[in-house]
Amino acid sequence: MSGYVEGVIILVCINVIAVLGVSILTGFTRLFSFGNAGFMAIGAYASAILTTKYGAPFPVALVVGPIIAAIAALGLGKLTLKLKGDYFLITTLGFGESIRLLFLFAEPITGGARGLSGIPPKTTLFIAIGITVLAFLGAWNFLRSKYGRNLMAIREQEIAAEAVGIDTAKFKEYSFMISAAYAGMAGALLAHYYMFISPIMFNLPKSAELTITVVIGGLGSLSGSVLATILLTVLPEVFRSAAEYRMLLYGLAVVVIIVLKPSGLMGYREFSLRPIFKLYERIFKKNDPTQTKGDGK
Amino acid sequence: MKPILTITNLHKHFGGVKAINDFSVTLEKGKIYGLIGPNGAGKTTIFNTITGIYDPTMGNIALNGESIVGKAPYEISNLGIARTFQNIRLFGNLSVLDNVIIACHVDAKYGLFEAMTKFGRFKKNEEDIKEKCLKLLQFVGLEEMRDDIAGALPYGHQRKLEIARALATNPDLLLLDEPAAGMNEKESEELVRFIQNIHENFDLTILLIEHHMDFVMSLCDEIAVLNFGSTIFMGSPAEVKSNPAVIEAYLGGEDDA
Amino acid sequence: MLLQQLINGISVGGIYALLATGYALIYSLLGFSNWAHGEVAMLGAYIGILSVTSLQMPFLFAVILAVVGAGLISVFNEKIAYKRIRDNNSPTMFLMIAAMGLSTTFQNMAIVVFGPKFKMFPQILPVGAVKIGSLSVGLLDLVSLGIVIVVIIGLQYLITKTKFGLAVKAASSNMGTASLLGINVDKYIMLVFFLAGSLAGISGVLYGMKYTVYPQLGNVALKAFIASVFGGLGSVQGAIVGAMGIGLLETLVSAYIHSGLRDLITFILLIAILLFRPTGLMGKDIQDKA
Repeated sequence: MSGYVEGVIILVCINVIAVLGVSILTGFTRLFSFGNAGFMAIGAYASAILTTKYGAPFPVALVVGPIIAAIAALGLGKLTLKLKGDYFLITTLGFGESIRLLFLFAEPITGGARGLSGIPPKTTLFIAIGITVLAFLGAWNFLRSKYGRNLMAIREQEIAAEAVGIDTAKFKEYSFMISAAYAGMAGALLAHYYMFISPIMFNLPKSAELTITVVIGGLGSLSGSVLATILLTVLPEVFRSAAEYRMLLYGLAVVVIIVLKPSGLMGYREFSLRPIFKLYERIFKKNDPTQTKGDGK
Repeated sequence: MKPILTITNLHKHFGGVKAINDFSVTLEKGKIYGLIGPNGAGKTTIFNTITGIYDPTMGNIALNGESIVGKAPYEISNLGIARTFQNIRLFGNLSVLDNVIIACHVDAKYGLFEAMTKFGRFKKNEEDIKEKCLKLLQFVGLEEMRDDIAGALPYGHQRKLEIARALATNPDLLLLDEPAAGMNEKESEELVRFIQNIHENFDLTILLIEHHMDFVMSLCDEIAVLNFGSTIFMGSPAEVKSNPAVIEAYLGGEDDA
Repeated sequence: MLLQQLINGISVGGIYALLATGYALIYSLLGFSNWAHGEVAMLGAYIGILSVTSLQMPFLFAVILAVVGAGLISVFNEKIAYKRIRDNNSPTMFLMIAAMGLSTTFQNMAIVVFGPKFKMFPQILPVGAVKIGSLSVGLLDLVSLGIVIVVIIGLQYLITKTKFGLAVKAASSNMGTASLLGINVDKYIMLVFFLAGSLAGISGVLYGMKYTVYPQLGNVALKAFIASVFGGLGSVQGAIVGAMGIGLLETLVSAYIHSGLRDLITFILLIAILLFRPTGLMGKDIQDKA
């Protein structure tokens, strides 16, 4: 495999992990965050500082990065998750930007605007794919357990969720922490793939891009999020388009989707081969009247 | 009989409006109670205060002798009070079965790691919950529709599903907020039997708000009549029917139901 | 020196205030923060600068064009996106997502169409400064502050004293009741979008004159948004107070602490204030009734 294709695949994997976190938070809990790039930054800097300055082994950095991001999310969430809608959103935005500005300012530790370089290139194709698969399975199982169901209950009807005994504050914290841990993992992998990080890589547009990807994939569809990430990472590489055209199209896509088909590519459904089988049955078993019923809905 | 819920001198004020004004009631275990009164008499506010959505301005609410004032709605639910809502609040985009399964989250004892890896207690817990929920759906007659999207169900089925969801939390006390709203006479007669059936099978105390007079009269053991946030009369259906104060305050203007 | 900084702060705060009131107006009606608001200001600034430089229009005419144009773009957003989302009965969060999409679209469209370069307004006012005692205030700052004050007083009058203001107030407390009272809610929503857009247009032009015009100019709206959160979402008065506060805070932090910490301190203060007043200084408590 050429180094270029390998690089694109690693990038897809890193983005998938970060998007999965936002998908759990926004798609399944309906909490809107503009701060996930901040959690990515925490994971990236924490792990990179560990490996470069303290000579820690890569696996340790991969565990510690996400954990620190999750702890930051817990702290922030404890303070802000009880705020309503836009008020919560602005605190995540403020947090994300604060983290970026903090890393910019703390030059002795982070290298400031010049960035942190000399990070060992530890993110191999094998590691990136392996962790992505684990991250996806973990999220998939999580969403199909009481945790995921409780989050969806909060998304659908917060008052009713409380009324059936769900500690909504606690489960929102879980959602926020897991989303931050995923972002932190993505950040750690990113740092050890690029070998260089700087605060500008984790700015507000990055947070927005993560949310945009989830919206395009479909709020409430994990496989949709993955599909959208692959699409949105690979297409620009294929067409070699300038960033502004890419973002222009993303913006338009979000508006069109949220207006016309708010459920996104996948809606609340997950990608499966069943519709294809059904289509097959419809085509080849036309004489069977029970099969003529629509499968669209 | 032992009281399950004791409300004493309850007040709830919103600014200058006294939505509940010195309301007291004692519910005995196992009975069906009705709460009636004209629109704006404070009935739903009482439900919201019992279930912890509002904190009372004054007064006490005790479940099995222990005060539940100041507890969060989820804590009160876990102590055994379940409710339905006047304007049905289902988890609209989820399936019928999932609506009920969600309410069984207390029965799922597994932790986060077990959930993400499907190890340990996960499989057994989930199977037990699913079995319990299918039984419940069968009981309320919705097992055929278990994979349908809850928000797309016909109105009457949505009401039943909301009750099934409340039952899934294993309550001792069930609060029903206008369960017969929007139903015709035949449907509400059916609902009377449905609620009686639940009452017998689940060992419940029920408190319900309702406008349909016939419905309340044929179902409840005791009825509290509310006006301007306080009880103006409490008694059996027969007593309520013949009480002049009640007739003046409420039955006279029955058409607002 | 301090007084000088205070005046600078108020002058910056005034530009934020014009944007922040727009957030507040739309939030009070529709309960969402219109993220695309900053891009409306940016497009207004471009309309202004292109009218003057490329089309050689008289300055005043160009400003009017910018203000009306920004108002119309704001209405356009409402028509093509927000109204449809409301008609779909989608959750409020979708309005914010759409606004975020519009914001991304406009910003990158501006890069594609106008190019990424910074553009300067031609010198309309003499560069001089006005001396009051030991103070010297830039003429542009003074004019801009004057405009802000006039506009804000006009806005106050409009929303508290006129039929328009009353109708908007009725609609913001309850859409259903308002339409029952015979108020054409959609018409007023459109008017509010026009008003908010026009205010954004003015602030875009003022900002462009003070600094430059560039595709990311809309990002100043972030400060205005924070100002409206400070003041309490949906409160026009709160937004003005919040905007002035942020303007002052930024100037003072830059002058006396460190300009690199300016935004950091703003954000930290924002989170801190929300912890003590979860709905801002003057915001209403929104409670979902059971």
